[in-house]
Amino acid sequence: MKIAVVGKGGVGKTTTASVLARGLSQRGCDVVALDCDTNANLGLSLGVGLETTERLVALRQALDEGEEDHAPSWDEMLARFGADAPDGVRLTTVNRIENMDPGCP
Amino acid sequence: MTSATQPVSADDPFEDGVSRRLRIAFVGKGGAGKSSIAGTLARLLAAGGEPVVCLDSDPLPGLATSLGIATSDAGIPDEAVEEAPEGERARYRLATGLTSEAAIRRYADTGPDGVRFLQFGKTRGHVAPLMRSQFAFRHIVADIDDTPWHVIGDLPAGTRQPFFGWAGFAHLVLVVAEPAMSSMLSAKRLARLGEGENAPLVAAIANKTRRDDDADLVSQATGLPVWASAPVDPAVREAEHLGVPIIDHAPDSPTVQALRSLLERLHNEERSSP
Repeated sequence: MKIAVVGKGGVGKTTTASVLARGLSQRGCDVVALDCDTNANLGLSLGVGLETTERLVALRQALDEGEEDHAPSWDEMLARFGADAPDGVRLTTVNRIENMDPGCP
Repeated sequence: MTSATQPVSADDPFEDGVSRRLRIAFVGKGGAGKSSIAGTLARLLAAGGEPVVCLDSDPLPGLATSLGIATSDAGIPDEAVEEAPEGERARYRLATGLTSEAAIRRYADTGPDGVRFLQFGKTRGHVAPLMRSQFAFRHIVADIDDTPWHVIGDLPAGTRQPFFGWAGFAHLVLVVAEPAMSSMLSAKRLARLGEGENAPLVAAIANKTRRDDDADLVSQATGLPVWASAPVDPAVREAEHLGVPIIDHAPDSPTVQALRSLLERLHNEERSSP
């Protein structure tokens, strides 16, 4: 099952996504939580803390700036660019900038 | 309607030229209150007789409501731009003879208190009909220093647009932050807009505060000075529920009062700066 949570700012997307992720994981599903927001906060809601949330963002930026190599596979991406969140959820930050001219909002 | 090439009329309020104008961009995490605050500040400024244009580069609705403008998704018409010649970096440029000032007069909606409202349009579905409108918007904004308007910009939530130059017109970036961890973390990231040469001044607005020390908390967590602080305000919630401007619904509410003080401060800063 693949679920995308979308909506206007401030309505509770991140909170909803994190509760879904942890709830499904508690019920025995293998869950990967993808933070696709360029302003990545999902880690805070999942409960990995500020430091890990920022570390994942920094990793992602290092990739954009060419200081890190892309992961060749899904598994390796989760291993290298992910962090373990409570209830067995695996979190990774996967935002990417596309179509930036004249500026994809 | 003013033609692009027509000279400004004799009774034009800006004819004498104006030295310093506010150029403010509002940024912050989703739901922090950017549009509510930007719209209310613009209305306060306009109510004082000042010429104000609001820039809305959010593909989702918001600012029109806090200003009190009903048509909230009309973009800039295609005629505003023409194809740029082969080899130019941008695909479109403003139509020949069209200045930033003329474009604002022609394409910005007029709202209560005479406030003007320019937006690149709202996203409706999978098709992307906004490209020409977005180019027009960016070209108009690029030359906005040549116009006599106070400029209040409301950027979409998050970090993407601000870090890709959409706040480039601003001399002052106001980061709206709630005293909540994720909102303050976002504000801390956005504080980096103030780094580097020719960077704008960046300050925070603590919004929806509940405790006396919440403004200090926002300042500590973001590293930014807090220039205004507005408490959790039932009047704002009511106005947003009804879809009406806060300034009309509750002109004496704590939020509007906090923004009156902010405006006072901005005028003082303006006077004291070189």
